[in-house]
Order: sequence, then structure tokens, then C-alpha cells
Amino acid sequence: MDTPRNLKYTNSHEWVRVEGKQVVVGITDFAQDQLSDLTYVELPTVGDSFSGQEEVAVVESVKAASDVYAPISGTITAVNNGLLDRPELINTDPYGEGWLFKMLPDDATELESLMDADQYDQSMPDEE
Amino acid sequence: MAFALFFPDPLPYVEGLRLQEALHAARVADRIPDTVLFLQHCPVITLGRRGRSNHLLAREDQLRARGIDLFEASRGGDVTYHGPGQVVMYPIIRLGQGGSGSHGYLHNLEEVAIGTCAAFGVEAWRREGKNGAWTAAGKIAAIGFKIQRWVTLHGMSFNVEAGLGGFELIVPCGLAGEPVASLRSLLGEATPSIVQVAGAMADRFEAVTGRVLERIPCGDPLPDVLAAALNPA
Repeated sequence: MDTPRNLKYTNSHEWVRVEGKQVVVGITDFAQDQLSDLTYVELPTVGDSFSGQEEVAVVESVKAASDVYAPISGTITAVNNGLLDRPELINTDPYGEGWLFKMLPDDATELESLMDADQYDQSMPDEE
Repeated sequence: MAFALFFPDPLPYVEGLRLQEALHAARVADRIPDTVLFLQHCPVITLGRRGRSNHLLAREDQLRARGIDLFEASRGGDVTYHGPGQVVMYPIIRLGQGGSGSHGYLHNLEEVAIGTCAAFGVEAWRREGKNGAWTAAGKIAAIGFKIQRWVTLHGMSFNVEAGLGGFELIVPCGLAGEPVASLRSLLGEATPSIVQVAGAMADRFEAVTGRVLERIPCGDPLPDVLAAALNPA
């Protein structure tokens, strides 16, 4: 599994990239792999506020549906509308073009509670 | 350690849902280990989140007249039928633990179905772009699941007996013209019992997901943690 070093991670398999005052959020390589080929994405509305670990988005493959959670509390500032037509970008480029939404954190210190890449990797099972 | 629970009599769909939701909440809260349910349902047609009602070939009142319930389920996938003669496996497991991360959960469920067929001498395979398990007689296992807080709900159904008449009332999984197979249609007299098939599915589940299942046979008392999760005081 690919785990970029420069990102933060949640135990519900979201990744977070700090971009100035905002954060960019997506799902990890592990998460997209568990769901298989994604066919549908439900995104939040810009301006909506969420608490940390609240359900924000839904990603679906042909056979699976999974919720995506807010990594921290904050307000949605942008969503990746390109995914509505091309949800498969989450599979092919989970850390790049497959980003889901951007948030303005209520309290940036909440980011410190997220895992770094090493901690996230250690939280994962060993490959069989 | 994980539990496997077996149920002797067909359960109404809503009762299966209640069991799953209770176990899911307990698993998310880490009050129970991974738990896999093996059961049969009373006749029911369920629509997945992407299920379209034009894949339903009868009206709801016509279904009810035939004793078949209709539900919209929160799982992924399209329309399917459950009824007696079919083993339904509902794993309530936390993904990302116990080695389930190597191939993906969908792949693992398909592997359980293919291995279960092999255990009874039936060849089964995947079909590119069409999930589930396929045999010479058609599709024998259907998959649809949901992941909430990274604990799974719903799962897979595996056809044992023929004459699962409810399939005639739908376009299963939205795939027109694809026959539905059962072990009976492939093995005839040599068809194993529902209990044997559920046991074989549990064996394959252990092998594929790297979990050891403590099996609670039909009618045995539940371990305390499961009893507490299912029958809150």
C-alpha cells in the first residue's frame, strides 16, 4: 500500500493534506482498494459545517457503500465535482485527482491528533 | 478470535437487520470481536442503494400476495432475492485487521464463494466486471455490502437449493438474461445440506481472511458478550 509521507491520516482511512489555512481530504489507497471500482460519490455542500468524525460523504462501488468522515471539525470550502462524472479517479489517483473535499478547520490544533504516515502504516495489518 | 453464529430457521429480513445493526454497534465500540452470521431469510426481495425498481418484474402488492417482502437496503449493489434454501453470510468485521487488507474485501467474499463451491466439487469463477461467483449453470453467489466506521454490514448470499422462485420476479443484480444457479442445479442428489454449506463457508472465510472462528451452533447459548450486544438489558 502506498502511504505518502507528507500527509496526515485518520483511523477511518481518510488522508489530510494541509494547504495554507485549509486542509484537503481524501480516502487512502487501502480504503479505495477495499471498496474496489468506485461508481458513485455523494459530496457535501460548500459552506456545510461538520464535527470531527461526522459523516461527510459517501463513496460507492458496484457492490459496496462506505461513509467518509470529517477528519477534524470545520467548514467545507470546496468539493471535487470532477468525481461526480469520474469517481474512478479515487481508485487510480487516491492522493491526487481523487481528493474529495477541502475544509477550513475550526481549530488547527486538532490536526495534531491525526496519525502521521508511520503511525498509519503501523495501524494496518501485515500483508499476507 | 472471532465468532460464527448459525441460525436454524429462516429469519425475517428485518430480524436479520436488527441482529446486524446490534452487532455492528457493539463491534464499532469494541465490545465484541469480529462476528459472522450464517442464516437463511424468509422470502424477501431487497433493493441495494443503486437498485432500480425497473429491475423488479412484479408490483409490491403482487409480491406480498406471494408471501415475499420488499425492502430497500443500505448495502451497495442492485436488486436480489433471499429465501429458504440459500445461505446468507453477514460478516460484521473490522476491515484493516487480521490480514483482510491484502486483496480487498469484495475479492475475499468472492474467494469464499468460489472455495465453497470447490469444497463440493463445483468449479466456480469470477467474471470481469461482474461481481459474485459464477458456475457453468449461472451465478451462484451474490454480493452487496456496506462499510460503516470501517466495520462491515450485509455480505453475500449463496444458493444451495433450486427453485428459489423469487429470482423470477427480478432482474438479479440488474443483469438481464443471466441465469441463477444453485448447488442443486449442479449436483442434483449429491447436494449438501444447508448446514454443511454454511460450515464450508465458515471454513473458507477463516482461510481467506486469516481469522479463527469460534463456532456457535444452532441453539447453543451465546457467549456473554454477544448476548449482551443482541439483548441489551
